[in-house]
Amino acid sequence: MPRKPARTPTTTSRPAPPPTPEALRPTVDLAREIYAQLDQGEIPRMRLPLRTKQNLQFQLRDGVWKLGRALGTRSARKLDGAQMLLRTFYLVDFINEMARDGKTSTLRELYYISEGWEEGKFHSEDESNLLIEDLEVLCQRLREDFRLHPEENGASVIGDLTIRETNRKGVVKKINCRDDVGDGGYGIPFNVEKEKIAFLSTGAKFVIAIECGGMVDRLAENGFDEEHDAILLHLKGQPARSTRRFLKRLNEELKLPVVVFTDGDPWSFRIFASVAYGAIKTAHISHYLATPQAEFLGVTASDIENYKLPSDKLSDQDVRALQAELTDPRFGTAEWRSEIELMLKNGKKAEQQSLAKYGLNYVTDTYLPEKLTEMGVLH
Amino acid sequence: MPRTLAEELASKQREISVAEFFERNRQILGFDNPLRALLTTVKEGVDNALDACEEARVLPDITVEIAKAGPDRLQVVIADNGPGILKREIPNVFGRLLYGSRFHANRQSRGQQGIGISAAVLYAGLTTARPVKIVSKVREEEAAHVLELLLDTQKNLPKVVSDDLTLWDRESGTSIALVLKAKYQRGRQSPFEYLRGTAIVNPHARLVLVEPDGTRITYERASTEVPPLPKEVAPHPYGLELGELSYRLKSAGGKSIADTLGKQFAGVTPRAVTEILARAKLSGKEAPASIHGEELEGLLAAMHAVRLLPPSAESLSPIGPILIKRGLRNVLGDVRPDFYAPPVSRPPKVRGGFPFLVEVGLVYGGGLPPDQPIQLLRFANRVPLLFQQGACAITNAVQNLDWRRYGLEQKGGAGLPTGPALLLVHVASTKIPFTSEAKEAVAEDPEVDREITLALQTAARHLKTHLSRRNRRALAQEKFDIILRILPKLAEKTSGIVGKPVPDLTPVITRIMDVVNIDGALEKGPSGLLVRADLTNYTPRARVLELFVELPAESFPTARFDPTPDGTDAELGRAWWTLPKLAPSGKTRITVTFPAATEIDASDLSWYVAGVDEAHLLGGEPLPGDWDVRLPRAVIEAAETGGEDAVLAGESEVDYDAAEARANADDDE
Repeated sequence: MPRKPARTPTTTSRPAPPPTPEALRPTVDLAREIYAQLDQGEIPRMRLPLRTKQNLQFQLRDGVWKLGRALGTRSARKLDGAQMLLRTFYLVDFINEMARDGKTSTLRELYYISEGWEEGKFHSEDESNLLIEDLEVLCQRLREDFRLHPEENGASVIGDLTIRETNRKGVVKKINCRDDVGDGGYGIPFNVEKEKIAFLSTGAKFVIAIECGGMVDRLAENGFDEEHDAILLHLKGQPARSTRRFLKRLNEELKLPVVVFTDGDPWSFRIFASVAYGAIKTAHISHYLATPQAEFLGVTASDIENYKLPSDKLSDQDVRALQAELTDPRFGTAEWRSEIELMLKNGKKAEQQSLAKYGLNYVTDTYLPEKLTEMGVLH
Repeated sequence: MPRTLAEELASKQREISVAEFFERNRQILGFDNPLRALLTTVKEGVDNALDACEEARVLPDITVEIAKAGPDRLQVVIADNGPGILKREIPNVFGRLLYGSRFHANRQSRGQQGIGISAAVLYAGLTTARPVKIVSKVREEEAAHVLELLLDTQKNLPKVVSDDLTLWDRESGTSIALVLKAKYQRGRQSPFEYLRGTAIVNPHARLVLVEPDGTRITYERASTEVPPLPKEVAPHPYGLELGELSYRLKSAGGKSIADTLGKQFAGVTPRAVTEILARAKLSGKEAPASIHGEELEGLLAAMHAVRLLPPSAESLSPIGPILIKRGLRNVLGDVRPDFYAPPVSRPPKVRGGFPFLVEVGLVYGGGLPPDQPIQLLRFANRVPLLFQQGACAITNAVQNLDWRRYGLEQKGGAGLPTGPALLLVHVASTKIPFTSEAKEAVAEDPEVDREITLALQTAARHLKTHLSRRNRRALAQEKFDIILRILPKLAEKTSGIVGKPVPDLTPVITRIMDVVNIDGALEKGPSGLLVRADLTNYTPRARVLELFVELPAESFPTARFDPTPDGTDAELGRAWWTLPKLAPSGKTRITVTFPAATEIDASDLSWYVAGVDEAHLLGGEPLPGDWDVRLPRAVIEAAETGGEDAVLAGESEVDYDAAEARANADDDE
């Protein structure tokens, strides 16, 4: 069904943009390349930058880790490769069709759409997400350009930040993320680009990005954001692209320092790495997602000892994850190496909420002020 | 006069009857528990029946009926269609230990010592006190004799309890019915397993087993040829011991020792006689029976020392490759194995003075369990060995072979390998070196071990070939999936996006496949059995190929070929064609038709191709070098230029999807 014209004439928004040949031309170029190979009797193949940690390279200009120059080949010589090539063009076809019809699709919807793609059908949503990332890499576009977007992920912001959002219906709203929102805070939408969200003003001095919702609630209830002029940002585990992008914009546009507060375990180290250095899977767009100025607050391996936090023994999986991090170039600094090695040596991990051992106010009255002062964020 | 100690001791000395001895040592003969007693009874009865039939040159028809006869008692009836036993011999054959016709015969047979069946009779008497009932009829008599008898353990003599006549509706045969304390259970060491094994190595026998619950298992004959009776040959001096030599000399009745040496022993040439006599310091004129003591020992030493001809293998009765395969197929029919390795029948070798030979059969795949140790079936002189697997030289040879090299899993390269395989090992000899009188395991012997290992290696090599062919087929299947399922859609999709017509995919298809494929299949047609070979040139260049087929020589005369071969060799069972030039993606078909009754399947035909490199050949083999065939010029040229493709195929590129899968496996972001 074609989209109706916006009802409110005052709107400054535009509906989903018309099919821009420019955005989708690279997808057609891919098809042209494969067609030419077939026509010349060559086995169809594509070359793609490898998205592995071995192929991460530090980019001085952006201060983030991006894909290096190592290439892999996806060739129809192998069944898997042939199948991925076929899927690529079902996907390209579908993207172009959506552009013609003025539609968008969620990643999950795309996965279900592929049910009708016969030999090109995906076996899991991971498979389809990976292929979309491949296409981003190949075409140097974002998935939003392909009119594909994730579901709303539910990450949120609480604090003195005033934004202007143009909602789905094209209505422009001015929202203060402390005064105009409920207890859940302001929900970060999947699209956080300038045409959707503009930052108007803030009274905050820094952003604290938090792994778990429970800790966000604790800080909000204790009035930490008001007392210390902080913006609380809920990462919700491994943060979605929009969350990372939102954080980067806060850092760059409002010049707010960013600290990351997570559990003290190997997986939380990876959360920080994807926020600050860039994630492996999205290394092709690290310059767009990562916040190189972000700093790790804790819980660190030494916090577990210094604050005598209740801890759990590292599982075999945890140990393997830490060992993998030792060969991950993003953790190649002396600080990270000693942090990882200390955790391996102590064999302990702790959740951020274990600070409740000393009472509900301990984290806001003692731990965070101590740590933030140490980091030079609070004075 | 007071009795001396010696006298006192002497008064306690008395003869122990053989039967008494065995009564106290049941386990030696395999009667130590009710399960085993049943198996031993069945085994001894069936072995005797098979030996009797073989000697009488009749196709064995043997029935084993096991029925309940009270709590912990079973009745076992074993009936055969053998020559029957003369009435006067019946009590001795069944009621007396160490009485038999085969002990002194120097040839391969199942039973040897004459202990087995009478031990069963003894056991039955001891456990149930019930006499055994023998029915036997010889061809020359109208009626069958029915005797009931017990074994007197004191005197080692049979005691006939009743004696009668009956009419029996068969020309000849023997039946023995025993009631004994026993237990029936299927399992690795059961009458069921024993008869299954027996059926495999005696495909000429029809065997029926009726279990106590009424289940009837029939192994029909898979061959109608009675195996040739092994010739009884004179003993070879290398295997002789003193007692045997003495016995032979006394019973020989020759005029002089020189004469006896030359005639009564195998492998002793006239020259050897002279040498032996010289070494033993005998004139040669002595009467054989007069040689004793040191003289006898000297003679034996001389016989062992002198170089003699090896013993003849005519006394052996190998099963042979054809019948091993038939036997396995007959019994394993339900399992539908993928592969029967060509059975291995090693040439006879000598161990001491006794000839022996080793045979191996190997079956793979189908319904055989893939994650368990392979099934090992051991046989000695066509008798299944069910006990003492761990102590057996056969098992050791199997375990010491590194099966990993041949495509089976094996922890640490030793021990029983794991996989869907069944292995048959048969050792045949005029004197099997058993570990004990119970004849349950073959004793270690370097010569025997070597032969078993060689035979196993040959069979294992066939397995390896089969597995690598199977892997190549799997690889080819992947390629077929690409070219048939994916590629046409990829072409259609990309053509649609760029708005151009779908290109001709033949060049891409041949590049991906890059093989010459032979697809051989067998079907039953109105004109008989039809073996089709479809040959497709899935390589990027036109090829002139030479195709060869080899089939079992016995079916060659009845085979009809289409098109007419360019040459044949009936003696070797070979035919060949120079095929018209095949363009990329070009196909051609050869058919071979056999009369409907021919016993043949597609795997009996081997296809060989010249004109393409081995790496680019699927479903056939490159022409073996020893065929000594002169190839046409065009074929040679094609083969010589074939190498380039291999270089093209081996690009050293990182497979993107494989690398990504690995990265995702160790990274959870």
